[in-house]
Amino acid sequence: MKLTIKSWTGVASWRWIANDENCGICRMSFESTCPECALPGDDCPLVWGVCSHCFHMHCIVKWLNLQPLNKQCPMCRQSWKFNIH
Amino acid sequence: MAQNISPEQSGGAGGSSSVKHNDDSLPIKDNHAVSKRLHKELMNLMMANEKGISAFPDGENIFKWVGTIAGPTNTVYAAQTYRLSLDFPNSYPYAAPVVKFLTPCFHPNVDLQGAICLDILKDKWSALYDVRTILLSIQSLLGEPNNESPLNAQAAMMWNDQKEYKKYLDAFYEKHKDT
Amino acid sequence: MCDFSKLWSSDVVKIFPILCGSTSQILQSPKEEVFQNVCRQMSELGSVGIETLTDIVKLEMRSTIRNVIVPKFWVHFQVPRKETVSDPNALFAKFIEAVNELHESYQYLLQMQTRLIQLNRNGPSKTLEKQVVDENGTKTWLRDAMLAQLPPNFDVVIGAFYSVHFRLFTKDIYFSSNTIDSEVLSDLPCTGCNFEVQKCCCQKLIEMVNKTNQKLLELGLIDRLAGSSMTALIKQKIKEHINDTCLGIFDRSHLKELETWLQDVIMSWLRNIFTGGKQCDINECETIQGFKVKLTYFMYETFAQSVISRFFSIIIDYPDSTPAINDLKICMEKIDMRVYITKTLRNALEARLLHPGVNTMDILTGYVAAIKAIRHLDNTGVILEMVTAPIKDYLRKRNDTVRRVVTGLTEEGPTDLSEELAKGESVKDGKDNTTDELSNWENWEPDPFGIDPNILRNTSSKIMRSADIISMVVDIYGSKELFMVEYRNLMADRLLAQLDFNSEKEIRNLELLKIRFGESLLHSCEVMLKDVTDSKRINSHIHGDGNCNENQLFDISSLIVSAQFWPSFNKESLQLPEEIENEFKKYTKAYEAYKGNRTLNWRTVTGRVNILIEIGDRTMEMTVAPTQAVIIYHFQNKSEWGLEELSSLIKVPPSALRRRMSFWQNHGLISETHPGVFTLIEKESEKSQFEEMNITDADEEDLESAMASASDQREEELQVFWSYIVGMLTNLDSMPIDRIHQMLKLFASHSGGVEFTQDELKHFLQRKVREHKLLFSGGVYQLAK
Repeated sequence: MKLTIKSWTGVASWRWIANDENCGICRMSFESTCPECALPGDDCPLVWGVCSHCFHMHCIVKWLNLQPLNKQCPMCRQSWKFNIH
Repeated sequence: MAQNISPEQSGGAGGSSSVKHNDDSLPIKDNHAVSKRLHKELMNLMMANEKGISAFPDGENIFKWVGTIAGPTNTVYAAQTYRLSLDFPNSYPYAAPVVKFLTPCFHPNVDLQGAICLDILKDKWSALYDVRTILLSIQSLLGEPNNESPLNAQAAMMWNDQKEYKKYLDAFYEKHKDT
Repeated sequence: MCDFSKLWSSDVVKIFPILCGSTSQILQSPKEEVFQNVCRQMSELGSVGIETLTDIVKLEMRSTIRNVIVPKFWVHFQVPRKETVSDPNALFAKFIEAVNELHESYQYLLQMQTRLIQLNRNGPSKTLEKQVVDENGTKTWLRDAMLAQLPPNFDVVIGAFYSVHFRLFTKDIYFSSNTIDSEVLSDLPCTGCNFEVQKCCCQKLIEMVNKTNQKLLELGLIDRLAGSSMTALIKQKIKEHINDTCLGIFDRSHLKELETWLQDVIMSWLRNIFTGGKQCDINECETIQGFKVKLTYFMYETFAQSVISRFFSIIIDYPDSTPAINDLKICMEKIDMRVYITKTLRNALEARLLHPGVNTMDILTGYVAAIKAIRHLDNTGVILEMVTAPIKDYLRKRNDTVRRVVTGLTEEGPTDLSEELAKGESVKDGKDNTTDELSNWENWEPDPFGIDPNILRNTSSKIMRSADIISMVVDIYGSKELFMVEYRNLMADRLLAQLDFNSEKEIRNLELLKIRFGESLLHSCEVMLKDVTDSKRINSHIHGDGNCNENQLFDISSLIVSAQFWPSFNKESLQLPEEIENEFKKYTKAYEAYKGNRTLNWRTVTGRVNILIEIGDRTMEMTVAPTQAVIIYHFQNKSEWGLEELSSLIKVPPSALRRRMSFWQNHGLISETHPGVFTLIEKESEKSQFEEMNITDADEEDLESAMASASDQREEELQVFWSYIVGMLTNLDSMPIDRIHQMLKLFASHSGGVEFTQDELKHFLQRKVREHKLLFSGGVYQLAK
């Protein structure tokens, strides 16, 4: 008996490659949106700092804008810098 | 309760006593996001069922909570419970909530009006903190005061003599615990 | 002194033969001298004399009437004990005879009366201050006596007479309005007299009947005697007429016709009876008017009842049946039938719709149709409310209701629901209308009478009652949230089942539902749809990418979902063979390269596989579920597998595996040669005996949802509630039950959860009190210390 698979339509769920499941700032899942966005994924992406902590881009940006002086990572207090691959 | 809230802090609208101002930065228009977050926190708190700390919204407004902490064991505050009020601003978690003792507390870092001098509630606030971490920090503050910058000088001075301190504290607690 | 006995036996008796018992002879009038004689003699007695004589005569007349004339009349109709049914024709004949007799007696009595009057006139005038003999006295006595001695069956008698009269009278009308052609008609018996047309004696009958009627008129008996049986007869006729002309015909209005018929046929007949063809005087006109009012009311009522009894068909035929509903509306304005309608409709709907023999879609269709029809009938919505309440309750109990509603809303082709949805873009949200109500107070009207206050309690606002059909359908569950959750689940199932499909209709429906129900509830549906379109884009990108296509065994395309926005998947599993898994790994890598920082978790058990099987001399191309594909894949390498063995290899539990196997068994590729052992069938027609018994129907699985079932684990929810209650009471000390309930509703309800009523809460709290976890005192609950 010979079986040939011609095509396969499958289902997968996407997820971010991150250490954690939830954004520490808004507490929502990374695969969900930040509190202000409607659509997940490209429209509400994640960003990493050089300290390797990651957050929703919108969340961390808001946080950084609200800090008058040293922009710090909310998790580890290190000076924040965006890590862009 | 909370007779001593100053006008600029009432309703959580004007921001908080912390350094962050939200007038000139991103305008935070809707409370929906904050409310969603607070709901989530409430759920997590309820499901976690942690011993020693608890909090719940005080009424229909989810921006105002009442918290309860038990004095940590092996400290002079063991076997005592204290009530606190937590007022969340519109900019939470980017700004810290205003937390005050409702039950009068005799402690170096707590003043007569119930205001608390705790770094994470002010300049060391982080968006990662939540109700749980706040309450835990306050709880541990009870057993580990910071006597360098006291709000209650008398308590700060008495602290080194733990026995006397306990006597005074117990009398104080008995007298005020039901207000 | 006169000799009375001589006077008596000669003159008096001559004048008044009734005094010696005669009742019927009509004699010659005695001469004037006899009168004078008697008068003179009597007057010698003084005024009393004539009066006494008059009284004696009167007495005699009355007793004759009472004892002779009237019983004689009624004796005609006495039915001997043994007979129970009287032949109407016989009765008819007897009646005519009896009336004739009565009339003769009446004439006779009138004579006596005349003579009495004459006598008294001739007497001394001073005795006649008042009229001693009333001119109508005889009539009155006769009538009274007749009525006093009514036998039990008298209206049968009278009914018989008048029904013949009616038939004769209306014969011509039927004749002219009949559309049967004349040949046939000539074969039928004459409608008037029931004899054959050639022998038709209608004319004669009509004469007889008219004469009798006339006599009755003269006797003044028609009104009192015949009134009720005529009314009964007419009502009968009205009912028959309505049945004949209106029953079951809904697409035109009947009221005008009926009124015309009433006027032309019935009223003119009545007029004929009462006036005998002459002009009617005021009294008669009043009587006839009175009849008319009563009969018109009766007609409306009967008509309304006939419409209501068929209302179910009207609902189904809507909107073709609109004229019937309009007619009913008019009837309702004249007669208060609200309670009757409500009750009847409820019962009809319950009997026809709400039982296990009717499938849910039909009930829904009926529900929607009923809403439309009843709303047309009564646009205050009160009747609708009360009639549809049981339907809603029943639908709630059916567990596929929401599914059907959603299917109805989104089905291909026009259905009632999808039409309504499309229509509804201009419908305002209920909340907007409340302000209108307040500012529109001048036009406020009180609620119609007759509403059951229990039902009204829940939705008192007129505005809510006028909510449109879609809301009413969604309202079956009392909450939009639950409905939306089910809609989302169904959409997820649909999307997963089709895997590449036309999203336009879905998007349009979604937009419409959003307008109606608000954005937030349907937000996840939007994300789901976006996932579908995004997946298509990603698929085409990856296929266009050269790297992935190297050494590709087969094409892979995928639906990539944002898991947070889809309903949770069920817990099934499937382990792919290495070869196949490698292909998936390649695809995943291509995805990762395309979308930085992201990767895919495959849901292996869901999907569609297009395969080609070459076995023996058969070639089969089919599309199967992944589990089936994997099963048959493994049979390539080994033609015999034990259930447990295969199960642990592909990580499918044995019971589920067996079900999936049956798919291949039904296709004749695999057979269960021994219990628990499955073998590949190289050649057709090999089927073991064992297998014949065990093949299960594999089609069921196609209907299974890939999603986890939306189960209300009440206990789990209660656990959540309990944590919240503990939190509440820890921080806020003590609370009464309604505050607890309110807090739970505000903070602890999750979307899609079934509502937790205050009564349920009370039960729960009392349980906790019994378990010594709570204290209840002074109306508030506290934590037990």
